[in-house]
Amino acid sequence: MFNLSRRAFALGASATALAACNPSTGGGEENFVNIYSARHYDADRLLYNAFEEATGIAVRVLPANAEQLLERLRAEGDATEADLVVAADAGNLWRIKDAGLLQNVTTPALEAGVPARLRDPEGAYWGFTKRARVIVYRKDAVQPEEVASYDNLADARFRGQIVARSSTNVYQLSTLASRIERLGAGNARAWAAGVRANFARDPQGSDTDQIKAVAAGEAQATLCNHYYYFRLLQSDDPADRAVAEKIGMVFPDQAGAGTHVNISGAGVTLHAKRRDKAVQLLEYLVSDAAQTMLAPLNVEYPIRPEIPAAPGLAALGAFKEEEIPLDALGRHQAEAARIFEEVGWR
Amino acid sequence: MSTSDAITTPQARALRLDGVALAAALATLLCVAPVLVVLVLAVFGAGETVTFGANLTRDGAIGTLTLMLAGGGGAIILGAGAAWLVSLCRFPGRGVFEWLLVIPLAAPSYVLAYSYTSLTWAGGLIPYRIEGFWGAAFIYAVGLYPYVYLAARAAFVSQSSCAIEAARMLGATPRAVFWRVALPLARPGIAAGGALACMEIAADYGAAQHFGLTTLSTAIFRAWYAHGSSQAALQIAAVLLLAAVAFLIIERYARGRAAFGGGSSRWRPLPRYELNALAGTGALLFCTALIVLGAIAPLAWLARLALLHANVEDVAGPFLNSITLSAGGALLTLALAAAIAVAARRIGAFGRTSLLAASIGYAAPGAVIAMGMLALFGLAREAGWVGGFGAGVALVALMWTYAARFASAGIQPIDAGLARLSKGLDASARTLGAGPWRRFMRVDLPIAAPSLAAAALILFVEILKELPATLILRPFDFDTLAVKASTYASDERLLEAATPSLLIFVAGLAPILLLTRSIAKTRAGAHE
Repeated sequence: MFNLSRRAFALGASATALAACNPSTGGGEENFVNIYSARHYDADRLLYNAFEEATGIAVRVLPANAEQLLERLRAEGDATEADLVVAADAGNLWRIKDAGLLQNVTTPALEAGVPARLRDPEGAYWGFTKRARVIVYRKDAVQPEEVASYDNLADARFRGQIVARSSTNVYQLSTLASRIERLGAGNARAWAAGVRANFARDPQGSDTDQIKAVAAGEAQATLCNHYYYFRLLQSDDPADRAVAEKIGMVFPDQAGAGTHVNISGAGVTLHAKRRDKAVQLLEYLVSDAAQTMLAPLNVEYPIRPEIPAAPGLAALGAFKEEEIPLDALGRHQAEAARIFEEVGWR
Repeated sequence: MSTSDAITTPQARALRLDGVALAAALATLLCVAPVLVVLVLAVFGAGETVTFGANLTRDGAIGTLTLMLAGGGGAIILGAGAAWLVSLCRFPGRGVFEWLLVIPLAAPSYVLAYSYTSLTWAGGLIPYRIEGFWGAAFIYAVGLYPYVYLAARAAFVSQSSCAIEAARMLGATPRAVFWRVALPLARPGIAAGGALACMEIAADYGAAQHFGLTTLSTAIFRAWYAHGSSQAALQIAAVLLLAAVAFLIIERYARGRAAFGGGSSRWRPLPRYELNALAGTGALLFCTALIVLGAIAPLAWLARLALLHANVEDVAGPFLNSITLSAGGALLTLALAAAIAVAARRIGAFGRTSLLAASIGYAAPGAVIAMGMLALFGLAREAGWVGGFGAGVALVALMWTYAARFASAGIQPIDAGLARLSKGLDASARTLGAGPWRRFMRVDLPIAAPSLAAAALILFVEILKELPATLILRPFDFDTLAVKASTYASDERLLEAATPSLLIFVAGLAPILLLTRSIAKTRAGAHE
């Protein structure tokens, strides 16, 4: 047995040595750019590959949660190897900016590529895809008009009929933050308390799990990002497609302020060692080529209205978007978290 | 327990600075440093705290405690029951179950949670939903019982057959033997295994978060993610760590001052009870149910999902990375754990304290230890000791974090193995003039060798399953299986997550099967 552990040690030592020689971690060639990414889509990898082909600049990625990347950036300070940070949700991007870890970048290509509302006013981060926070409902229990507005989720009509994801999730925080921006904290609190009172169960599971709960009859409606619904619709698993069959989707508040829209975006790190390449990649992400490529790969919306969306999305037609500056989602984030906590929506 | 006290001479109590003690002190320091940094930052760190942090902490503490009672209690009952059946009874399939019962160890709690959700929630195969508090308790019980099973089985197997035979000769029924002889004798083992299971529960984030529970672990991440306050997160983490200290002390106390000397040193195969047809079938079903619930059902479901989604990215790289990291991390942790465990047996109070201190990290989520490690790195950078967080530094930090997080999982089995060291042996070696290193190499290590191997295998599997620290500290383009699975799962792509999740299990299976073999051998003279 002792022999075994000695052999195991030799094995481990050689394996460690092997890892140290791994060229992708050693960084032999200099023509690369490093990304910290909180977006984990295979589509992104394809996009980076296309960038590599077009420019010869290799893209190295470290995926993790936005919060964890923020802590790592903070600890690394000016020693960081990260040049670009990519994250879903403006709330996350704002937090990284707020921690002073991004630098302001403005170029004509970026300004032409990203509508003013979908970027940081100072240029710390730039959106490159859009997602809508929609309401999905069970078709055999709910008429679409009954969930035409986010307000409806707080109606007494839905007592015990709403499921929701935990408010630890940044999508929920941003949804409430947008309401605080438009209607004030008092209104936002009343709404959150109203939805909370309608819960069929304590928040648990992911966005997809909420949709499945609605389809299974545990509840009648929920909030989710639009692409989760589309993924079920286009899933390889017939059970997922059966779920989507039972579900209807509405873009809320079309008669009012419009549907809450958020971004995925990217920003150049304050201490980027390869700033020019990072900017080049950022410009590439919002270019026609990348936007056109991204649309069918991921069922998100392109950042510019003139780029055609994925066929499934395009079929739904255009919808009215809520018009608030996205940095408001960051500014009201702490208050949103506090409100959720106070009304017991955990 | 009092074995060491008994052989500790006044000379040793005077804390002679021998090599083993120095090595142990250094090992303890390494294991404790990231934890200490977290505690220090929690008290002195700058940054805003959240106003209702106290509420979160209170609710989290209640959540963690109740989950430990329900999930940990379940794991103890299932694990100790299964260990009793396969060690001391005879029923159809016993020999096979002895191996198979350990299998759920290879499946991480978060993988079980995702799989059971997909299996039993809407659109799944089974209409009874695994959810909420009892869902999490169920996952912990069926996923973590092997920790108790392993420790309890080792304890049952290493019992002297004399005590049991004597009891039987005195007319004790099987039930009485179990409750009044075997169980009390195995108590230290069961307590150690139960403690590991409970600490796993305390540290778990993935499953608890998935089921929407407020525990100390999820409260840490709620403060961190939802409120954006890493300071409040550190403070809740400090509460968790201090609770772990209290828990460890209670556990030591619960083991009692039991020291089982005596008995015969002539080992014979354990006398096994022949179960009648009904009881035998019951035992068979019980063991089958454990394996099906803890591994086969959730993994078969994952396999189905993996087959549904065929266009899997290349997982060979992550697979190799996982194996490499786990092997390296396990060996480093093993070395530190061995030094600490041996010192604890040799040098009384000081050793015991360092053993306790090095065990705290096991109750903390990996992300908290990783935050401590990042802070240490920040200090080292300011001092000019390291430059950037390059690949080399990242790997070292990662291995170090594993050691701080998992030392306890290595120390426990080694400590249990050393407990078999007969009282006189160390004293004899000393009388014959053997120095500390010589005794360490020639007496302690050979005796603890089987438990060292067991510890190495447990550590390998633990690190294989580890997620958050790996996520935070790894180098660029260095994905492991757990990272792959988690990035897909966090994006709610369970189909894509299925393949790497399954591979974690596959990679962990071989060491686990080795582990069961090594246990079967721990009993001298064991043969079937």
